[in-house]
Amino acid sequence: MRAESSRRIIKLGLTNFWRNRWLSFTATLIMTLTLLIVSFFAISNLAISRETKTIREKMDVSVYFNDSASTTQITDMQKQLASRTDIRQIAYVSKEEALVACKKDIVCNRTITANNSTENPLPRSLQIKPDQAESLPQIADFLKQEQFKSIVQKISYQDNSQIVDRLVGITSFTREFGWLVCLVFIFISILVVINTIRLTMFTRRDEIEIMRLVGANDAFIKIPFLIEGLIYGILATILAVGLVWAGVALILPRVSHYLGATSSIALMTFFYNNFWLMFGLELIVGVAIGICCSLIIIRKHLKF
Amino acid sequence: MIEVIGLSKQYGNILAVDNINAKIERGEFVFLVGPSGAGKSTLIKLLVCEERPTSGKIIVAERNIAKLLPSELPYYRRKVGVVFQDFKLLPQKTVYENVAFALEVCDATRAEIEDKVPKILDLVGMLKRRNNLPSELSGGERQRVSIARAMIHNPKILIADEPTGNLDPVNAWEIVDLLERVNNLGTTIIFATHNKSIVDRLKRRVILMKGGKIVSDRIKGGYAI
Repeated sequence: MRAESSRRIIKLGLTNFWRNRWLSFTATLIMTLTLLIVSFFAISNLAISRETKTIREKMDVSVYFNDSASTTQITDMQKQLASRTDIRQIAYVSKEEALVACKKDIVCNRTITANNSTENPLPRSLQIKPDQAESLPQIADFLKQEQFKSIVQKISYQDNSQIVDRLVGITSFTREFGWLVCLVFIFISILVVINTIRLTMFTRRDEIEIMRLVGANDAFIKIPFLIEGLIYGILATILAVGLVWAGVALILPRVSHYLGATSSIALMTFFYNNFWLMFGLELIVGVAIGICCSLIIIRKHLKF
Repeated sequence: MIEVIGLSKQYGNILAVDNINAKIERGEFVFLVGPSGAGKSTLIKLLVCEERPTSGKIIVAERNIAKLLPSELPYYRRKVGVVFQDFKLLPQKTVYENVAFALEVCDATRAEIEDKVPKILDLVGMLKRRNNLPSELSGGERQRVSIARAMIHNPKILIADEPTGNLDPVNAWEIVDLLERVNNLGTTIIFATHNKSIVDRLKRRVILMKGGKIVSDRIKGGYAI
């Protein structure tokens, strides 16, 4: 197709959009709302997933040894742990290393100083990082075995597992609930856009009839409706991203004292770092809705 | 040029066109007459491929157009001009733009449009009114523009469905004269009408339809139902 014809087709598509501008505006707004909801849940999911991943990576099992445990016994345990496939890393922490680390921690340091003891009270330990957070209970069970009871003073992982369980639960709930809300709004958008394009087709019915009678190329009749759908998608994406941008740039600083400065900065950083990802995602959803609606209408009403 | 063989079109229980056979030669001027509901409009819809026949063949230039693929339809329609009683002009476009539109949507270049449109408007006597909107024209003038648009692709066949139905006698005769001139240039004309005086005066071939059937086909006929 020549550039001149493409220009005429694009002009027809723009005319479609402009002729029913109030309805087009409503359809664009509904689609913008849908995209805002999609992006809200997508961002929430991404943010929670990343946070969970960070926490999971930080999660470990620490096994503290009685002072009576011999180095051979500890090495033996370390060897047995190393042979497991669900463990990523094992680090031995000596009493001295534990003391150095403790002195860097204000609370820990205060507790030790308060004891007034010249002897290092901190136990030796193994810090075990699992391949996956889900393996933590199995590793803990392994450490609780009868053969290690005499040398193990304490195993710490319980508190972390509860946090992870809760985070996994929140993530799953947000994801499922988010998808449900997104689907409902996508459905509403599709209905509104379909009806808007159908109305455009109705207002242009004489023109379409004449086009058919004079032997117009299929592209001249059908593509303007695809362009109309495309315009809805693109405009809605720009509006939605613009609104989110305004929300992050203008509103977030004003509510930072409620969220806490760290959270506000983290949210802003997250938004700016993932701006293009978000824009791309919204554009895909918006354009897909617009094009699908156009195709549905074309298939239904422009068969000849 | 055009041959219909055993052509039928059924809508539910109604047989709008019932097993008709006819042959129209190149360059003929044929009146299609008959009372309302005789099947004239259905036959015209079948000839312009707006409807598919229930059975039978429509041979145009040695091709059965009943079997045309959707992708072939635009090219066929450019060879068959159609004129309607209600003109079917776009009210927001000028005379020139209405005719040019038929070329624009068929991938014509600007140079082609600028060359062909004034010529065809001159042929139908509407060049001086090129910048007027349809609302500023008389019925006869609108029908001239409609004929110009139908002729813009230089079709071999021109089908006119009641083209004088909305016109006063003076304008109606001007349109008939124009269609005769187009016919003299070699275009086959199929003219569906109820106007007895036009049919009687022109003494052309008359195909009479009733109840979906062709009941008479006279070479130099008059209007008789």
